[in-house]
Amino acid sequence: MKNKLSWFAVPYVGWMALMVVIPILIMVVYAFTTAEFEGTLENFAEMGSYASVFLRSFRLALVATLVCVLIGYPVSYWMAHEGPGFQRMAMALIMLPMWMNFLLRTYSWMSILENNGLLNQLFRNIGVIDLYNQIAPFFVDLRNAIAAHFGAAQTNFVPIEYFELIGTPGAVVLGMVYNYLPFMILPIYSVILKLDSNLLEAARDLGADSGRVFRKVILPLSLPGVLSGVTMVFVPSVSTFAISRLLGGGTQMMLGDLIEQQFLGGAYDPHLGAAISMVMMVIVVVCMVVMNRFGEGEGEAVIL
Amino acid sequence: MKKHSRVGSRLAIGLMFLFLYAPIILLIIFSFNAGDSSAVWKGFSLHWYSRLFQNRLIMESVYTTLLVSLLATAIATVAGTFAAIGLYSLGRRRREALLTVNNIPMMNADIVTGVSLCLFFVAFFQGWGIFARWFNSIQSMVELPERLVLGFGTLLLAHVAFNIPYVILNVAPKLRQMDRNLMDAAQDLGCTWLQAFWKVMLPEIKPGIVSGALIAFTMSIDDFIISYFTAGSASSTLAMAIYGMTKKRVTPEVNAISTLLFLSVLTLLVLSNLKEVRQESRERLGTARKLSALERARQKFAEPRYLWVRRGLAGALVCAFVASVAFLSYATSSRPVVNVCSWGEYIDEDLITQFEEQTGIRVNYQTAESNEALYSLLKSGGADYDVVVPSDYMIGRLIAEDMLEPLDYSQIPNFSLIDDRFKYLTYDPDNRYTVPYTWGTLGIIYNTAMVDEEITSWGALYDDKYAGNVLLINNSRDALGAALMYLGYSVNTTDEEEIRQAYELVADANRRGVFQGRVMDEVFQKMEGGNAAIATYYAGDYLSMVDNQAEGVDLAFVIPEEGSNWFVDAMCMLKDAPHQREAHMWINFIASTEANLANMDYIWYASPNRLALEQYPDYYEELYGEELDQSVYEIMAAPPETLARCEVYLNLPSETLNLYKNLWTQLGVN
Repeated sequence: MKNKLSWFAVPYVGWMALMVVIPILIMVVYAFTTAEFEGTLENFAEMGSYASVFLRSFRLALVATLVCVLIGYPVSYWMAHEGPGFQRMAMALIMLPMWMNFLLRTYSWMSILENNGLLNQLFRNIGVIDLYNQIAPFFVDLRNAIAAHFGAAQTNFVPIEYFELIGTPGAVVLGMVYNYLPFMILPIYSVILKLDSNLLEAARDLGADSGRVFRKVILPLSLPGVLSGVTMVFVPSVSTFAISRLLGGGTQMMLGDLIEQQFLGGAYDPHLGAAISMVMMVIVVVCMVVMNRFGEGEGEAVIL
Repeated sequence: MKKHSRVGSRLAIGLMFLFLYAPIILLIIFSFNAGDSSAVWKGFSLHWYSRLFQNRLIMESVYTTLLVSLLATAIATVAGTFAAIGLYSLGRRRREALLTVNNIPMMNADIVTGVSLCLFFVAFFQGWGIFARWFNSIQSMVELPERLVLGFGTLLLAHVAFNIPYVILNVAPKLRQMDRNLMDAAQDLGCTWLQAFWKVMLPEIKPGIVSGALIAFTMSIDDFIISYFTAGSASSTLAMAIYGMTKKRVTPEVNAISTLLFLSVLTLLVLSNLKEVRQESRERLGTARKLSALERARQKFAEPRYLWVRRGLAGALVCAFVASVAFLSYATSSRPVVNVCSWGEYIDEDLITQFEEQTGIRVNYQTAESNEALYSLLKSGGADYDVVVPSDYMIGRLIAEDMLEPLDYSQIPNFSLIDDRFKYLTYDPDNRYTVPYTWGTLGIIYNTAMVDEEITSWGALYDDKYAGNVLLINNSRDALGAALMYLGYSVNTTDEEEIRQAYELVADANRRGVFQGRVMDEVFQKMEGGNAAIATYYAGDYLSMVDNQAEGVDLAFVIPEEGSNWFVDAMCMLKDAPHQREAHMWINFIASTEANLANMDYIWYASPNRLALEQYPDYYEELYGEELDQSVYEIMAAPPETLARCEVYLNLPSETLNLYKNLWTQLGVN
């Protein structure tokens, strides 16, 4: 159909070209030039030395995504089987924190995880730290005994005053899971909700037990929800810089931190920053394409 | 469906909600804390709420956030709806190609979107500058502004750009479901196209538009990264303000604003849910239930004859919104302004109020994290400052790169009060660009409750004994400078081998896990709360930490035996600063003896003002009724024999700067 309505698309095409395509092209130009805008590949030549940052980012983001799936899937599944009032309430409660900015939510974790923060205070007051200090020497002795047997180095037990929580990779993953969990729950929940109950009934009538129904029908049919959840959690996780900065204390440098540092941080080099952004973008896009291809095949196979 | 016990699943759901809400509840509880900590309860108080409403930075950023979210949502909803309609009348192949492009901003990492938009805006501004200069030179009818900077406009554009795809994504399915013949039928029956759109299409796709707008608004409110790269220095959203605050001392004002935001959203949600529930129950009960007076009024109001009232009311609301926005922007833009960028915890804020009352000039006071970060901000075109307060070596670099405007000293009579020791220094040998703000020394701050020896050497920073308890200062010059001094080299060395050795010392300690983190102003909270044992920071800040140290924390300051750095921070004006007269007034005001005394008392940095420096002990005695400890005064204003052990940072040649930059990036990698 071709009519005058299609003219409505024209300004939008212009807008997209201006605000989506051209900015990315400019970024690509920056990535391939020096500070004097002469063509170069130097920015990419150094990429190898940032491999550890790439690895750390992808590792932490992967762990966070996995945790989100492990928490998000069962919760969405159970939620979809509750009454409508409960569901609406739960949905509202899941969306609610998103209207507070994610930095506020991350900030609240800072005061919880500090060395003298709320969690360590709690541990101290209920005696977990004393308990640890009493039990741990036993394990250290045990380890030393084994080490002595093999002639390895001995370690001394140093009593702790707090558990080290902030500034660890765990804290960063926690921040990601906390902030992006709703993005995992929402798509999975909406897919499970739309599942045709006749299919489940048919499967049961054909003799499948509930485990089999779940494995063979529910899981494959809810996969698209999981995949879009994975995308919505993984992409912001891999590129975050605020979470790693606030909860990682600057020692858990991630790709986002590296990029931010080249633009507004302590080492001004937008050309290198653009190159790193580009590499990250390409890797993420390839991951997503591969994953979606894999997911699609799976989904179709089941329907057929 | 098989009925089974739901206790287990409900328990799991409950646990997840506990996880989601526990931090928020704690945040709310500590907003009522009488003390200024987010971890130690000192009693109930509403103190932080009253402080919040006086905090201009937060209140302005809340206003900016709401305004940008509402405007961006409104624009994106209208534009996105029409774009979706347009896309749906295209052929399938073209439509899919365009939808793929449409998905880019949603699929892309926020940081990539933010960075690419930032580069785009800056490139556009440069092109515009050339065009405007040419245009202004060929005619004199219209004067185009030659200098554009990142600000509210770019922030809004960026938000619209990432919101439109969400609207399209939500409207598109509704368009797909709609019978296309309906529009034709309506038009055949004599509707104009606009009528057909209004009466037929809009009601069909309305749910999609509403949910699209809702998601766009959520994304706008929740965004930080894209705003961070596109807002520039002049406007900041709440998220940016909070990010800035977490780099300094965070006060429970942040908790208070979070609580207010949370409660207002909660109220909205409960109200809308109640409405839905009531509607449902009404449907279930039919007309049997008696309507409440409110509902009767609402029903009456919905009758067609009140159409004009409804339209009028909606129109009035829109007009009121537009008028208030226009008024506020007029009120803020018509007053003379001066944009100042300084460091965190670096001014007695009463001075800003005093200056505003005396002159009627609004001070837009921003902070940067470090000299290097300030440089990035200036270079990336995001800054709209008039006055900046960099340190000596960075001033040298800014002068060398022609980024500063010479000052007109006839407008700064208070310059004569500056002690001669702080004039004509190496970074500005003819003293054409600068008026000193403070001076001081770099040293080691340590918590004697956690360190049982007296620290005398920079070596303590790299010692395994304190692994996990040392804070590395987060700027390349100071961090590598300390290592250079420890190795016995000059802080101004240009010898690559020496710098690499210093880097290796720091990087090795980093690999061994000696450093707990890399901090600038986060150091206050860490050291005051006893969360770290050793840090490198500035003498003045040590004194203000001592003032705020928690129970059981006992901080000490030392200038190590290997020597240290002494610095001068000075006010200068950026090239082509738009508010030069105001900038001179501000500089002159800050250089006065009274302002220097107030600042010295508040931030504990030594003043370059001769009189203020001499009078401070008396000023202190008069203010607090006790004598100023001589040792405190000497930490603040280091005596000549201490300064003799210290070296000033000089601006380095560009190869060395490059080396510093590369090594600094590398350090984070390991």
